[in-house]
Formats: sequence, C-alpha cells, structure tokens
Amino acid sequence: MNFDTIIIGGGLSGLTAGIELQKRGQKTLMISSGQSALHFFSGSFEFLNTEEDYPEALKKLPAGHPYSLMGAEKVLETASKVQDFFAGAGVVLNGEEGRNHFRITPIGVLKQAWLTLEDYARLPSDKSLPWKKVTIANIEGFLDFHPDFIAAGLEELGAECHCRSISLPELDRLRNNPSEMRSANIARALTGSVIGNLAKRLSDVSAGSDVILLPAVLGLDDPRPAQSLKVRTDRPIEYIATLPPSVPGIRTQMMLKNFYTRLGGTYLLGDSVTGGDFEGRKLKGIRTVNHSDKLFCADNFILASGSFFSRGLLSTPSGIFEPVFDLQVNCPQERRDWTKENFFDRQPYMGCGVATDGQFRALRKGESIENLRVCGSLLSGSDAINEGCGAGVATITALHIAENITEGK
Amino acid sequence: MKGNNYDVIIIGGGITGAGTARDCAMRGLRTLLVERYDFTSGATGRNHGLLHSGARYAVTDRESATECIQENMILRKIAAHCVEETGGLFITLPEDDLSYQALFASACKAAGIDAEIIDPKEAISLEKSVNPSIIGAVRVPDGAVDPFRLTTANVVDARGFGAEVLTYTEVVGFIRDGERVVGVELRDNITKTRSRKYAGIVINAGGIWGHRIAAMAGATVNMFPAKGALLIFGHRVNNMVINRCRKPSDADILVPGDTISLIGTTSSRIPYDEIDYMSVTPEEVEILMREGRKLAPSLGTTRVLRAYAGVRPLVASDNDPSGRSISRGIVCLDHEKRDGIPGFITITGGKLMTYRLMAEQATDLACRKLGVRKSCETASTPLPGSEKKAKKKEAKRVFSMPGLGGKAAVGRHGGRNGRIDNSDRNGASLVCECEEVSVGEVKYALQELDTRNLINLRRRTRVGMGTCQGELCACRAAGLMANGCTAKALEDLAVFMNERWKGMQPVAWGETLSEAQFTSWIYEGVCGLSRFKEKKGGM
Repeated sequence: MNFDTIIIGGGLSGLTAGIELQKRGQKTLMISSGQSALHFFSGSFEFLNTEEDYPEALKKLPAGHPYSLMGAEKVLETASKVQDFFAGAGVVLNGEEGRNHFRITPIGVLKQAWLTLEDYARLPSDKSLPWKKVTIANIEGFLDFHPDFIAAGLEELGAECHCRSISLPELDRLRNNPSEMRSANIARALTGSVIGNLAKRLSDVSAGSDVILLPAVLGLDDPRPAQSLKVRTDRPIEYIATLPPSVPGIRTQMMLKNFYTRLGGTYLLGDSVTGGDFEGRKLKGIRTVNHSDKLFCADNFILASGSFFSRGLLSTPSGIFEPVFDLQVNCPQERRDWTKENFFDRQPYMGCGVATDGQFRALRKGESIENLRVCGSLLSGSDAINEGCGAGVATITALHIAENITEGK
Repeated sequence: MKGNNYDVIIIGGGITGAGTARDCAMRGLRTLLVERYDFTSGATGRNHGLLHSGARYAVTDRESATECIQENMILRKIAAHCVEETGGLFITLPEDDLSYQALFASACKAAGIDAEIIDPKEAISLEKSVNPSIIGAVRVPDGAVDPFRLTTANVVDARGFGAEVLTYTEVVGFIRDGERVVGVELRDNITKTRSRKYAGIVINAGGIWGHRIAAMAGATVNMFPAKGALLIFGHRVNNMVINRCRKPSDADILVPGDTISLIGTTSSRIPYDEIDYMSVTPEEVEILMREGRKLAPSLGTTRVLRAYAGVRPLVASDNDPSGRSISRGIVCLDHEKRDGIPGFITITGGKLMTYRLMAEQATDLACRKLGVRKSCETASTPLPGSEKKAKKKEAKRVFSMPGLGGKAAVGRHGGRNGRIDNSDRNGASLVCECEEVSVGEVKYALQELDTRNLINLRRRTRVGMGTCQGELCACRAAGLMANGCTAKALEDLAVFMNERWKGMQPVAWGETLSEAQFTSWIYEGVCGLSRFKEKKGGM
C-alpha cells in the first residue's frame, strides 16, 4: 500500500491536514481511532486568549510555542484561510478579523473565542449584551445544560432572563431509562415533526423575549434540524454549548471526515498504529493493529494523535512518552514537576509534547525524521487550555504542514 | 425540642461523636451534636474502611484485639447495610518469617478471633488477586465498612430519638460557672453568627482536634498526630481483605470497598500544626505502590484513582508526660476527677471499629453524672437502614424500579432508601453513572442529610467518587443544588473540582493524568470555571 502521505489521527488537526493534502492533489490515508476532542467541543475555535489584536499577542509567546516556531506572519496568513477552509466542508464558522469575540459557556461565563459555529451565540463584547430580555429554555430532564447558571451570568450584564423547561412527549421513551437523557440521544429524537412541536412550545413560552437560548442538542448528522427550528420559531434562537458529548462537535467531525473521503482520501476507522520501520532519518512505513501483516508506506507521514486524553502521549510513574514511534518528548524530568497543587493553576504537563525542529519534523534519538511531521496538540510548547489556543494550533499547524509537504519544503 | 438547654452537648461529627449522640439520645438525654464542618471530614472519612477482625492487634495488643472482634460482630448485626462481610487473609510472603504465623494464630484464638491457618493454595483459590508466591495464609473474619454510611446512619438515628444536630457550627469557647463547664459558645461557620448553648455535660469527641478543644476548657490532653497515607485503586482488585502476617507495618492492608480497593497505610508522626493540611508525598506513594504490589501483583497495572491521608489521634498516657508511652486503646477522661473541671468529658483514642464502645463509655459516664439510670442499647438495636423488615420491603420495591440507581442506593441507604423519591418523572435519571446516583437520591440527601455543598453530597451519596472523579456528575449535581443561588453553586463546584484534583495530583500518571486533562478541558476549556475558583479552602 503506497500513499503520498499517511496521517495518524482523525481529530481536528489530522482531518484538517488530510483535507488540505487531498485538495492539493495528494493521495492520502488517515488512520483514526474514532473519538476526538471534537466530541467535547465548546462550539468555538480559540486562537489565543488575549484582549489585544493577534499580531501584538503573538509577539509575547515563548520561543518554543508552535506559533513562534512558524513565525507570527505565517501564523496570521494561515489563520486567515481557516474560515473559508471549513466553509468548504460545510462547517460555517464566524468571527472577527484579527481579534477575539466572546461565546457563552455552559455555566454562563463569557469566554474569548476566535471562530464560532453558525447558530451559536456570539458576542462582540463581554461588557454588554445585544439583548434585554432573554428566554433560556432547556429540555426537561436534560442534566447537562443549566439555564440557571447561564441566566446568572447574563443577569450580571443587565439582561432579564427567564428559564423555561420544555417537555416533549416524544422524549418520554428516553426519560424512562435513567441514563438515556443525554445530548446525542436527544439529538436523534429531535428531528422531523418533533421540530415543529418544539418550535411551537418555544414560541409559546418566550413572549416578549429578544432571543431564545437553547442547548446545542440539534443536528447530529447535519445542521438542518437546528436551522429548521430557527426558521419555525417566532423569535431568534441562539445555541449554547452543553456538557459533553457535543452534538455539533460530533457533527463537525463527521462532516470533515465525509468531506475528506469525498475528496478521495482513504479513511481507516477503528484502527491504531503500532509502530513503524525507520531507515536512517526516514520513516519507511507503519503497521497497525488490524493489519499487522501490512506495511503502509508513504513519502510523508503526519502524526496528529493528540495529547494525553487522546493517548497521543502516555505516562507512567517514571516518565512521559510518545507510544507510536517513541519520539523525543519535551517534559519535566521529575514527576513532581508535571503538576501543580491547584486545579486551576497552569499545569506543566499540559505543555508536554513531541519535540520537533522548526518545520515540525519529529525528533527521534536526537535527530529529526525527515518525512515525519507533527501537528496539533501533540506538539510541545503550548497549553491549549490555559492559553486558549487548542483549535488554533490544531488547524494552523496542520495547514502549514500540508503546504510544506506539497511544496517540498 | 428547641431552646438553648440540653442534658448533653457533643462536640465532633466524626463517627465517635455521631455514635455518642445516638447513644445519648436513645437513653432519653436531650442531646445536641455540633460539628465545625461536615460529618466525617476528619479521620472518620480518611481511613481504610476496614472492619477489623482484631487479628492485626492480636499479637501486640490483646485488649484492642478483643474489643475489635466484639464490635466487629456487633456491627455486622446493627449496621448490616454499612458492612460487607468479605472475610480476610493474613498472608506470609517468601521474605517474611513463617514462624510468626503460629504465634499470630494462637494470639487470635486467645483474643476470641476465629483465625484458621489454611493452605496457601486454598487462599489463592479463595482470593484470585493475592500474590501467588505466598508461603502461608490465615483466614480471619475481616470485612469492609463504609464510614460515611455508618456515620450518616448514626446521625439519622440520633435525630430520630430527638437529638439536634448542627453542622458547620464550631465551638469557639466554653461557658463556665466557676470551674464547671455549663455550655458552649458557638460560631456558625457559614453565616458567622454566634450563639450559646447550655448543657449539664459537654463531651469532647473531636478526635485529633480534641486536643485543642480540651485546651480551650483548660485541660491538657497530650495527643500525637500520626499521619497515615492511603491509595485508592480504580476498580475492585480483591474481594477479601488482604493483610501481611507480620508485625504491623507500612502499607500492609488491602481492603475492597464498593467499586474500588484501598491500600494503606504509611505511618509517620507529624507536628500538630500540620493536621489541617494533609498531603501525600511522592515517597509515600512509592512505599504504598511497592508494598501493595507484594500483596496483589495486579495493583502494579491498576489505575490509581487518588491518594489521601488521615490523622490518627494517639493519646499519651497520663502518667507519662514525655509522651513516649502511647495508648492505642479507648481513652475516656472524666475532667472533673482528672483536672477539677466538672461537666466536661473527653472521649478519644480508640478506632473506627470501636466507636460504639467509645460512645457507650462516654454516655455511661455522662449518665452517671446526670443521675440517669438507663442502660446502653446500641449493641442490639439496628441502625436505620439495617432493620430486618425494612430491608426485605425495600428489596421488593427497588427491583421494580427502572435502571440500576435503585440497587446502588439501597447499598448506601439500606432500608432508608424508601425515602428516596424517584416517582417524579425525572427522579430516576442518573446524575453519576460510575456510582449510579439518581436525581432522587441527590434530592433526598439535600433534604434530609445535612447536605450543603458538593463535598457533603459526595460523602452522602458517592457522587464523584468513581473512576471519572466527578467529570460530568459534578456539574449535574451542582445544577441540582443551585436552587436560586448560582454563584455559590459554581464556587462550590470549583472547590469540589479542586478537592478532587488534590487527591489525584500525587498519583497523576497514566489514566489518572489523562482523565485530569479531560476534566480540565471540560471545566476550564469548555466552561471557564476558574472564574469561580476558591478564595479559601473548603471542607
């Protein structure tokens, strides 16, 4: 089996790289275990937590940060392509040029964001709201969305909030099982004629409101149910992220995957890479669990296997390592230095990742592997949560690598 | 029974205070129990949860061993819903001295403990997880006991007999009439308001903190804090308690409890001013992992959920001011005789296993002083949740309920489970999937079990104690608890996540580190919870 490029990991970063390479005429293979961080999506991509314009903020990042390795100019140039890139896959994202806007989190906090999915609430400022009277509606019995928390956050900004619980007989079947009232199951039930019923109930309970805020539990397969509800309800609807799993996140991953395969990419689901054959400073091929007899060969390889919770990195009491190729990892030597005592402190382990050269080529035994590049949260030097740069690093490094590979850099 | 006058005020909401409140109330005393934070927030909530057979002490401390086996048999009857009769093994490893086994077995017999030397092969067939290289095994009637449930049951029963109970209420001073203690000055630790309550007898059941309480009354009780660290493993590795058959040492007891296993403990003396700030060191984790693997090799590959440490209240004998001679038994001090302070009693020393006996001794002494002639009935009266009738009736009800939440709740609340209302159309819905806690159970805990915050709720229901350590259930429970006061609920959620992390941090590798990253991703990345992060510590 020969490919131009093999991508290991089917999350946001891997899919971005794969799609871009297919667009650029490559023949690629993607190996994915299935779930990714998109399943825990907030509804927004973050570029960087900052109140400044991006060019200013980029200057202050440490030298080992993936953005610093690329250089601010290249980062901004690549970032400006992301919105159109996703629109091509049917994933519509909105944002402002060169600076952050705000999203409303499931607990009513206003957080900085770069690009936010269409239909989600998106605010230009965290000091004031575009609405005076807000109805926040939940599906009765759904425990992963808390209108009271959101109301409290918005009331601080002067909104008058009304929390409503909507009960639909079509959801009684879910309710009768103690663990079924979860977002994905609700999304499966909220289709077809049920949308009409929901629209009517929402119109009934929201008289006088400027907006209805709803948990993002519509549209597991495509965005149509969410849009259809908007059209059929008397007042504007904006969606707010729920606790995981994220229905729009699952949908986004699927749409990206479908787009990738439509472009001719080969997608291998539910398999994982066990290791590879190296020849000097080149990776010749890789082997997987399900096809242990085969060597998957390619000119180039991209490792986008994620951080700890995606198992891109593993740890034992004595160390942190990269399990597929045993690549060089940047992390503190002593276990006691991986973590800080306070949950909300900046945790050093978050910045651990694979060491690379300036072209994101992985280091192994002190040398860079010429044709093995790393992108996304597996890279060392960034803290997705503390710095608010997870999706930015995932997409921008992936596009950058794809460009470098096809342009032979 | 409102008002400010009682026969007896008990200080401390650990198992000893709760047990003493129950005993006093059952004997008809007007009883008030005060606890500065939450029930079980001290040593009661930070131990093995081992239903000792007493075998561990048979060789070194016959008196404690005898007390243990007697109380062990009593708890099986009166607290059946808090006890799991797992049985236990004392194993000899190749590195241990096998000749100790005979001494051990005969000491057990002498203390009245049913200890039986069995073939190592039989031990391996009884307990699959045990180290297969054992050269000796003794079977004993050890078990597991849930100290949270046991305390809750004692509090519920004390209330049933008319006792008043105040949590988050701290004694900040004693009211005196000459030398006599006639009451306590209280501070509500939430509202910061103060009040005074009067009683014929004040009983100090403050565990290690009893040292300070006694000092406030002008009495010296020499206590020596001994820290013990433990590790919780992510699933139930062993079904029987596994001990090392040797002189008691570090990390030689592995106890199964509900869905997990616990290894402990280390033992180290610590300065008194550290007792409120326990943390587990990497060295302690190392000892517990190393010794644990010797008991059950599969611990080496089992996920460690969290680490925690408690403080044993060791009491120096009165006749030894140097503090070298430590009594491990029950210490019931009549401060009238000892220090010339009438109206004041301290009950301390002892252990979880002997709490009922400690309560009995303290209550006997209080009754003598109050001139009340009623004998103790706690050894024969089942605790609420363990009444025979209640259990059968409950079993019938529960198996007609949808899902699994019902069965788990019966385990936690026994016959009291009938008070959980899942009839509301959303009541059976699960808040915590790992521990199968339903909306109805959370509401029951909120209404009837003095639950003011998420940490209280965890102690009452096990929310957030499972393998995910509160990933989604914490936010669901916070939503149910908010009840109009959302900022407080979110601050509480931040405190809860931080408290969970403090137990995970010493063992943050492998699955536990991945899970922690996921939790941060959700609570900080998606939600932005740090906006509500704590300004002060939570209990």
